[in-house]
Amino acid sequence: MGIVPSSVVLTSFQVMSRVFLIWAVTHSVKEVQTEDSVLLFVIAWTITEIIRYSFYTFSLLNHLPYLIKWARYTLFIVLYPMGVSGELLTIYAALPFVRQAGLYSISLPNKYNFSFDYYAFLILIMISYIPLFPQLYFHMIHQRRKVLSHTEEHKKFE
Amino acid sequence: GKHVEILDAKTREKLCFLDKVEPHATIAEIKNLFTKTQGKSLKDEDVLQKLPVGTTATLYFRDLGAQISWVTVFLTEYAGPLFIYLLFYFRVPFIYGHKYDFTSSRHTVVHLACICHSFHYVKRLLETLFVHRFSHGTMPLRNIFKNCTYYWGFAAWMAYYINHPLYTPPTYGAQQVKLALAIFVICQLGNFSIHMALRDLRPAGSKTRKIPYPTKNPFTWLFLLVSCPNYTYEVGSWIGFAIMTQCLPVALFSLVGFTQMTIWAKGKHRSYLKEFRDYPPLRMPIIPFLL
Repeated sequence: MGIVPSSVVLTSFQVMSRVFLIWAVTHSVKEVQTEDSVLLFVIAWTITEIIRYSFYTFSLLNHLPYLIKWARYTLFIVLYPMGVSGELLTIYAALPFVRQAGLYSISLPNKYNFSFDYYAFLILIMISYIPLFPQLYFHMIHQRRKVLSHTEEHKKFE
Repeated sequence: GKHVEILDAKTREKLCFLDKVEPHATIAEIKNLFTKTQGKSLKDEDVLQKLPVGTTATLYFRDLGAQISWVTVFLTEYAGPLFIYLLFYFRVPFIYGHKYDFTSSRHTVVHLACICHSFHYVKRLLETLFVHRFSHGTMPLRNIFKNCTYYWGFAAWMAYYINHPLYTPPTYGAQQVKLALAIFVICQLGNFSIHMALRDLRPAGSKTRKIPYPTKNPFTWLFLLVSCPNYTYEVGSWIGFAIMTQCLPVALFSLVGFTQMTIWAKGKHRSYLKEFRDYPPLRMPIIPFLL
């Protein structure tokens, strides 16, 4: 909303997907909470956010150590796939329990003539990672090239 | 006066050439002159002499990208739902279980719904061919994919449930269906009346714009209260259809349509206000007194 330069759309998307993973998957399907995949995405998100918010804070204070900028635009190369793997594995682990319990699902007949299959929905979500993840990943790589080479140019003139 | 050349800082490309600029003009004034030259697109009917340019007129070409005619888009996006709904109505194979192939629903309301839905889209197709007079010839090509996904997708989603073997008829039975049908029919007649009234505002082949007013047709009296009664009636039709079928996807479709039409109505209302000083102040964009 103007305080930091990130796109509102992309950021909202990321926030929504994280809220979804936490509440609609991990919290809702208790059996999944002991999976290693949960640890995987929690660690990835945590490290990412610590760096990202430090980046924003220092930028706003107009004193951004190169290390933070470097970290923000480099560590994602490992953290992002790590997070995505954790998320996908967690959703995959939740599937049988969702199917068994008919979680969040409505079936016909009912008086509003509507149905929803949460199991199928989760599978669609997993499939959506295929087009979305590469786009976001390569966007970050592109940003990295722009931002980090820019700094080098500036350094040359010092 | 002085000549001022404005170049793009990154590409060094010549963006604009202003001649006869007063020497004591401020940068703000020059910025104004520049944005004016970059302003809204000219119309086909504009006359060269009447344009606000100096001795040399510089026309900027803007590539709008691949275009497609409005008529083509409308026909395609409306023919889809008409056809798709019927696939579900006739329970064509591979949609519902095999034992239901080509069977027919035992509920009257399901047959009624098919008639209403089909009528609605036939009406739209005929209006596109014979009634509407479009301001613009074309729209961007990508719109046809977006629009067809929307119309065809929702049509399939609604049709799936209404024609489902496990469909549940409305809670209040025949009373509910009759009331909803009345709403639907009235709103369809209303919507058509408005389309005709708007067509009569504009002679064939022209692109003139006038303030629409109520005519002898009572359905057009809604013009007293809203700028875009065609949209008001359209929302009403779909609300009627939703009540008639008591189907949540239909209600969702109505909601999404309402949201989009409200955006359009507000835009239209705003341009009416801008273009006509004497625009009736009582009118709201789409919902009398409210929105």
